[in-house]
Amino acid sequence: MSAEILPYLIIIPLFGAFSMPMVNLAGRKAREAWAVLISGATLAVGSWVFYWVYEKGTVLYTLGAKSPFGQANFPIRIVWEVDLFGALMVLMVTFVAFMAVIYSLGYMRHDTGLDKYYTLIIILELGMLGIAITGDLFNFYVFLEIMSIASYALVAFRNDTWEAIEAGIKYMFVGSVASSLILLGIALLYGEYGTLTMGYLALKLSQNPTIVGKVALALFISGLLFKSGASPVHMWLADAHPAAPSSISAMLSGLVIKIGGIYALARIAFSIYGASVSVKTVGWLIILFACITLIVGNAMAVIQTDMKRLLAYSSVGQIGYILLGIGIGLAAYGSQTGEIALAGAIYHTFNHALMKGLLFLIAGAVIHQLGTRDLNELSGLAKTMPKTTFAFLIGAAAIIGMPPLNGFASKWLIYESSALFNPVLGAIAIIGTAFCTAAYVRVLYTFFGRPSERVMEAKDPEKSMLWPMLILTIAIIVMGLFPWGISDKVMIPAAKALENQLAYVATLMGGG
Amino acid sequence: MFGYWDALYFLFVFIIGLILAYLLDQWAKRSGMGTRKTGPGTKIFISSEDPDKVIPGFEHLEGHYTGRNVMWGLTYALKNFFTALRREHTGLLTDYASYLVITTAFVMGVLLIWG
Amino acid sequence: MIQFQFITAFLLIVLGIYAFLAKNNLLKLILALDIIDSGIHLLLISLGYRIELNEIPTAPIYTGYETLKSPMVGPLPQALVLTSIVIGVCVLALAMALTVNAYRHYGTLDVRALRRLRG
Repeated sequence: MSAEILPYLIIIPLFGAFSMPMVNLAGRKAREAWAVLISGATLAVGSWVFYWVYEKGTVLYTLGAKSPFGQANFPIRIVWEVDLFGALMVLMVTFVAFMAVIYSLGYMRHDTGLDKYYTLIIILELGMLGIAITGDLFNFYVFLEIMSIASYALVAFRNDTWEAIEAGIKYMFVGSVASSLILLGIALLYGEYGTLTMGYLALKLSQNPTIVGKVALALFISGLLFKSGASPVHMWLADAHPAAPSSISAMLSGLVIKIGGIYALARIAFSIYGASVSVKTVGWLIILFACITLIVGNAMAVIQTDMKRLLAYSSVGQIGYILLGIGIGLAAYGSQTGEIALAGAIYHTFNHALMKGLLFLIAGAVIHQLGTRDLNELSGLAKTMPKTTFAFLIGAAAIIGMPPLNGFASKWLIYESSALFNPVLGAIAIIGTAFCTAAYVRVLYTFFGRPSERVMEAKDPEKSMLWPMLILTIAIIVMGLFPWGISDKVMIPAAKALENQLAYVATLMGGG
Repeated sequence: MFGYWDALYFLFVFIIGLILAYLLDQWAKRSGMGTRKTGPGTKIFISSEDPDKVIPGFEHLEGHYTGRNVMWGLTYALKNFFTALRREHTGLLTDYASYLVITTAFVMGVLLIWG
Repeated sequence: MIQFQFITAFLLIVLGIYAFLAKNNLLKLILALDIIDSGIHLLLISLGYRIELNEIPTAPIYTGYETLKSPMVGPLPQALVLTSIVIGVCVLALAMALTVNAYRHYGTLDVRALRRLRG
């Protein structure tokens, strides 16, 4: 019963996406209802998968015959393996994607070509879900490319503006090179070890670690650092995320860089390479990139005048925190510090998806009302758009890490573990937060300043745009009320599931 | 699990700080010459920006104290750092690709030597 | 024996990356992307071609496998390359569509002109 529901995570969005052009013939109402229905059903399945994995442990699903050649459990087929970390990502993706689809109903109403828009947004969701549940390297590459191509197309969706086209070209061309590097790594691994199943590959790698395996790991790490927007390869992110429509920016910043970058990096580093390379070296490598990312991303956010660009740079900075957690988790593998750091990274991944999703949706509402995103022209929004400003206040406070909100708990775990691991890293993390605070204080001053004439006729957005923002705000506040409960019950077990490579392999071998 | 400091203390310190600030405010009001409630003394200057002052040539920005100058001290102190960062973000596609290739080479070198 | 196919594949990949870094025309960048992809496909497809016992392998047709004397080519890399080619076509089509749009907005295909977003 458990594993049979897993394919519906792919089937429902795939069916919904490609039947969208036909449903579109029935008119605008049918199209919107269909998009909401499909993403809602995916959310239901995703929550069910999370619940099941949380209660019953890792789920394994086999595509095709369970025992080819009549031999039992020969790992040649494609498998999907969902542990608690993957299930958490599934829940995050389906939830934020559902919010983004509802938001698009109002936000995208004045655009054309919306059947293609909804098709692409559901394909984007599909690609991310596939990455989160897959246990096969080539399958992972295919889903990564599905996700990437959908996001390239969505960044350039408003092709009547030069900004979208330029950002799309930059994102697409360099992103394709990064994908090619990942494919090259997969090809090298396949040539050396003759298998693509992640668990079996881990076994073979630990029996016989080779130079080829290390080269492949280097290709994976650099390709996935690019996809996650780590500095010094973060520049496409700052160009591409502001150029997309805001609902897409929320999905790109909240989900795509996490699933396509962080999740895949953690999965490959822990579940495949955990026992066959020096985790200390890999950990310090990731910590190095994390520190650069932390400082550069947050510092660049301070001097931006474009609201969405500021948020995009802030995303770069927050990715730095998550990478720092994962790096410490690798470098201090097996100790309690590493476990706390990893739990903090996973927690921050989830929190940042909610917070940055909310902030980009708010930026979209402001653009929708005023037609500008220049911070110098937005002063005094608090008078005319009070609900939006309140939501922004909550989101900004959460992303800085104010105590009663959810961002505090995850950032605290990362600060504490980095200070325990190496005090210098803790200091760097605090400096990054100082820059982050400066950036958001600038926006808040602007919002609470004296109203300019331009904002006087603005008003809070319509219901379909307001509700997703309110739901995300409530989620942030509620998650902030039980920080240590969530941390102990969900995030620490997820970190343990990610760390435990033996269990990952054993599930594949025994449970097949 | 929380070795140094329980996170709850943060909240306590925050609340105690609020109470202290309120008491200080009350004390200052009582022992001072009195607080102005009306007139030009109540004007707020954010980042030394006078909300009513009109600068010739900048009438379109008149009186909106925005976030433009809020972090002026920080931005000015770290001007060289920010300029360097801005200059690095060239916007050239080939530069982005070269950063990717350099990163790959660096990661590969580190992993081959110490991995 | 020297396996020339691997050397050719890596030459193609390096050539593609060099072209991507050195050229400034968008169409040439698309060609560079395609060359990188082709190199990886060549590498993948030649992984399946393993010469054992100095016998030339045959096509992987499982019908009548028991009576077959010579070894078979690995079927999995062929499936992988087929999938990867489809993905490559997708990427190329989208890249060309974007290039056409860039020409409409900027009036040139020079990538150095596409730098209004910076800082």
